[in-house]
Amino acid sequence: MFDRIAKFFDEKLSTPMARLAEQRHLRAVRDGIVATLPIIIVASMFMVIAFLPESLPDNWALSQFITEHQFKILLPYRMSMYIMTLYAVFGMGYSLARSYDLDGLSGGILSELAFLLTIIPVMIPEATEGIIEFAEGNAEVTEFVTSVPAGFHIPMPNLGSGGMFIGILSAFIAVEIYRLTQRSGFKISMPEQVPASIARSFEALTPTLIVLLLVSTITMWLEVDVHGMVTAVITPLVSASDTLWSVLLLTFLNSFFWVFGIHGASIVGSVARPLWLVLLEQNTTAYAAGEAIPNIAAEPLYQWFIYIGGSGATLGLAIALFVAKSKYAQTLARTSFIPSLFNINEPLMFGAPVVLNPTLIIPFIFAPLINAVIAWFATDVGLINRVVAIAPWTLPGPIGAFLATGSDWRALVLNVLLILLSTLIYYPFVKIYDKQLLEEEMSEEEAEDVVFD
Amino acid sequence: MRVILVCAGGMSSAIAAKSLREAAEKEGLSFEVHEASTQQFEEMVKKDYDLALVAPQIRHRFDTLKPYAEGAGIPILQIAPRGYSPIGGKFLLKQIKDEAPEVFE
Repeated sequence: MFDRIAKFFDEKLSTPMARLAEQRHLRAVRDGIVATLPIIIVASMFMVIAFLPESLPDNWALSQFITEHQFKILLPYRMSMYIMTLYAVFGMGYSLARSYDLDGLSGGILSELAFLLTIIPVMIPEATEGIIEFAEGNAEVTEFVTSVPAGFHIPMPNLGSGGMFIGILSAFIAVEIYRLTQRSGFKISMPEQVPASIARSFEALTPTLIVLLLVSTITMWLEVDVHGMVTAVITPLVSASDTLWSVLLLTFLNSFFWVFGIHGASIVGSVARPLWLVLLEQNTTAYAAGEAIPNIAAEPLYQWFIYIGGSGATLGLAIALFVAKSKYAQTLARTSFIPSLFNINEPLMFGAPVVLNPTLIIPFIFAPLINAVIAWFATDVGLINRVVAIAPWTLPGPIGAFLATGSDWRALVLNVLLILLSTLIYYPFVKIYDKQLLEEEMSEEEAEDVVFD
Repeated sequence: MRVILVCAGGMSSAIAAKSLREAAEKEGLSFEVHEASTQQFEEMVKKDYDLALVAPQIRHRFDTLKPYAEGAGIPILQIAPRGYSPIGGKFLLKQIKDEAPEVFE
């Protein structure tokens, strides 16, 4: 009965949905964003360091040093995570172009071009003598006038998560134009003797011209505020992703895929990560500005309070397995505990297995949902800080929770409590499963005895 | 024999790779197993491997990865779930023997 239902869901639902996430455009978004994660993780740590003094005694030399140089410590963050879309767009264009078997480098550069053309630089003229004269006598105005840099400037927030969806659209449009020109032969082709790299740069001339004319016409001549339009469309989606219901839905979907042995986090992440990054960046921006942090449900909430030990909060399962009596479960506990501590749970998923295991999938679905409810309310009422940083996902849970919340000890404690809770949730089911394993082992031994008699 | 094992991020495959290596050693076979993430696979697979293995949790990506292995002219197998764990090496080795016996020649 269970097998039949499982087969039905796998064939009709989880596998087709997973295939959908492999659609080339979704894949390009995923690849582009995944490629920027190292930048986001390292920049996040700068963020943690810059605000470390909040968790340290004031009179420490280290706290004083950091407080004094906070602006400088945060500058690398400004040029990396703060403008992450600038990086992600290149990766998206590269990946999408590669999926069409086109030159990745040209795809990335064309995407970057399309994206930057949506942003209108502002010309700030140099202060005229009249202005300087006018400011004279007022120290404050003089300082301001002399500190304003002249020349062309681009608004940085548009290069960050605020421009993420425009970035995605830019990459799609640029690479589709590139593909169209290559397909239709509407391009400048070189004779065969010309080296490939030079031929390639000529081939990219036509799509470059089309991208440049098209995007600049829309944004600079017709003066369509594409950023404003997309923000208006996306804002409700972003707010919706920051609700308990959507946290529960995404958490459930993740487990649902894993029940059939499909990497749920990578599928849910493909779709949700752009939104998570917007939520996170709004948090980091507020944090860096010393304002109240707006959002709860950015990705680190899932990483450090819901999926402790991996999808399904399986660190609890790994710990619960230590009480098992069957040989198989004991071996599994020994070999899978350490990976689980670092949030790698495939050994458990396929080793226990959790996948398609009617006993273990019950806690596997419910433990993270319960964690989600607790973490949501703990964050909402301010028992722990809101997440402001992405810590490397292979860190042990308590450390990750501590870093992700801008070094909040209470988050570390909550993480440990949630591990204990998920252990308790898994425990009775592990007992049942262990009993089944023991019976199997007994009957196998008996069978062997018979053979040897 | 050089094997490339691909999973989502290239993390869990290290564990399965170790298990496979150990199982092969027991039978006197020498396996050199390298882990790859989905993103690295396209480039890595070109580097003189004999066999490509795909982790079970990314089986929905199998069709995407297959052309790259075919381009490199090597067989590509979808690892059965029980072969993908710290104690699954022997199952995985058996699967390779059953489904891609040509790599042992």
